[in-house]
Amino acid sequence: MITFENVGMRYGMGAEILRDISFSLDKGSFHFLTGPSGAGKTTLLKLMYLAHRPSRGLMHFFNKDMATLERRDLPRLRRRIGVVFQDFRLFDHLSAFDNVALPLLIKGAKKSDIANHVEELLSWVDLEERMHARPATLSGGEKQRVAIARAVINKPDLLVADEPTGNVDPSMSRKLMHLFIELNKIGTTIVVATHDDELVKNIGAPILSLSKGELKQVPGSRELTDLAPKRPEIHTSDLSEPRDIKAMN
Amino acid sequence: MFHTKIAFLPNTKQSDTLLPWVIAVMLFLSTLSLALAITLGNGLNKWSQGLTTSLSVQVINANSDMRAQDTAQALKMLRATPGIEYADIVADAEVLEILSPWLGELPTENALPVPTLIEIKLISPDSVNISALKQRLKRISPNIRLDDHQAWIVQIFKLANTIRWLLTAVVFMIILSTISIVIFGCRAGLATHKESIEIMHMLGAEDDIIAKSFDQRYMLHGLKGGAIGTSVAAIVIYMISNLIENLDTGLIGALLPQNSNFWWLLILPIFTAMITMLTARFTTKRALLKLM
Repeated sequence: MITFENVGMRYGMGAEILRDISFSLDKGSFHFLTGPSGAGKTTLLKLMYLAHRPSRGLMHFFNKDMATLERRDLPRLRRRIGVVFQDFRLFDHLSAFDNVALPLLIKGAKKSDIANHVEELLSWVDLEERMHARPATLSGGEKQRVAIARAVINKPDLLVADEPTGNVDPSMSRKLMHLFIELNKIGTTIVVATHDDELVKNIGAPILSLSKGELKQVPGSRELTDLAPKRPEIHTSDLSEPRDIKAMN
Repeated sequence: MFHTKIAFLPNTKQSDTLLPWVIAVMLFLSTLSLALAITLGNGLNKWSQGLTTSLSVQVINANSDMRAQDTAQALKMLRATPGIEYADIVADAEVLEILSPWLGELPTENALPVPTLIEIKLISPDSVNISALKQRLKRISPNIRLDDHQAWIVQIFKLANTIRWLLTAVVFMIILSTISIVIFGCRAGLATHKESIEIMHMLGAEDDIIAKSFDQRYMLHGLKGGAIGTSVAAIVIYMISNLIENLDTGLIGALLPQNSNFWWLLILPIFTAMITMLTARFTTKRALLKLM
């Protein structure tokens, strides 16, 4: 579904931040992206959510070659990618509800559908009471959950999350990871950048490990049969508490 | 493709809050310039129409008998000419009054020979062939001169046209300045909201959606600034009209603005809003093209 072949990235005339990155993400796969600070994780994520074009190499997204893709085709492709930014990047003047509704508004969804989906998703992330609160009045964890809700509201084919559990308590962290797993079950490819070794160990998904701009792939530590596609379509009502959450821990 | 506006730009803490006031000042100046250009044109036409139907004949002869003879013949010929409404001799007392600023107060029965003046009123500006009339008067006597004010009118019109062109150029310069200010304001706005634009792009927003938010904001700035500037200019024009009405004489009276000439004041704010909106759209889309 997504392939990188000998991708290199540098900003301007600076040193190469990513060197010869090659990997492939299958539909419905779940990967962690790990590596020390400065290893190039953020840059790789930016390439994954189409914020930049690579300096060299080939990138294919959903069978489309990025080298030949027209600029006008990018928005449609980006709508298939959900992004959870480390610093949330919520619009401060919009309520939690409006922030989460943005991707649906951009897609041109009906207002009634938007209201239903957004309310349901915000309830799932325990924010039904804070639906009309602005980000400035939300805690770090609440902002993180709003950011995640915004990233998944469109049921993306690829979800890229930068430290999605960095600001939440362990209970909410498990719940959010479960949301990702549920999305993964219906075929969403997930890439989670994290420093949380415990989380990586518990989930046991394959790891894309970056070090000094070079990538090493580590296979999953357990058979992730639960992460295989099972259902053709997701509804926000499908995102219930995991049955096997204890097994994950 | 039509997109509904998505309110991703905050309404407060904007870098462009002064823009409506700058546009208002620009509109105020351009409205006054336009009003003056239009009034000058219409007023001069009205004033010159009155002048071009008025002619004067001077019979210059030191010999009073000869002057009386020439005057009688000229008067007879003029009154017989079709297209002339009337031709009358201006009384000596009136001629002396006209000359008094140069010659001082003179008694009517003085020995100083003054030209006899014949005042002519034409039915319409083109009812008589002026050059043919000049020739016929010359044939009566070389001492008879016809003054149709043309030389003076031409000079006045040349001056007025120059002023009108200057005013039109001023209006264009103000429009260009306004466009430049909107471009700078828009660029500042784009820089201020760079991160918001990036997020919108990452969420899959097309350039049109982003540009629409900007051009609607600037359209409102244009409408607000246009309405304020035009309203203040309209008040000023009204006050000047009242002052001129009190003078109501000659050329100044003719320059009195007519209400029917100022219908365009109503559409000026809409025109401004359109200009600012299109400028903002063009600027935004150009800037967005540079982003991925």
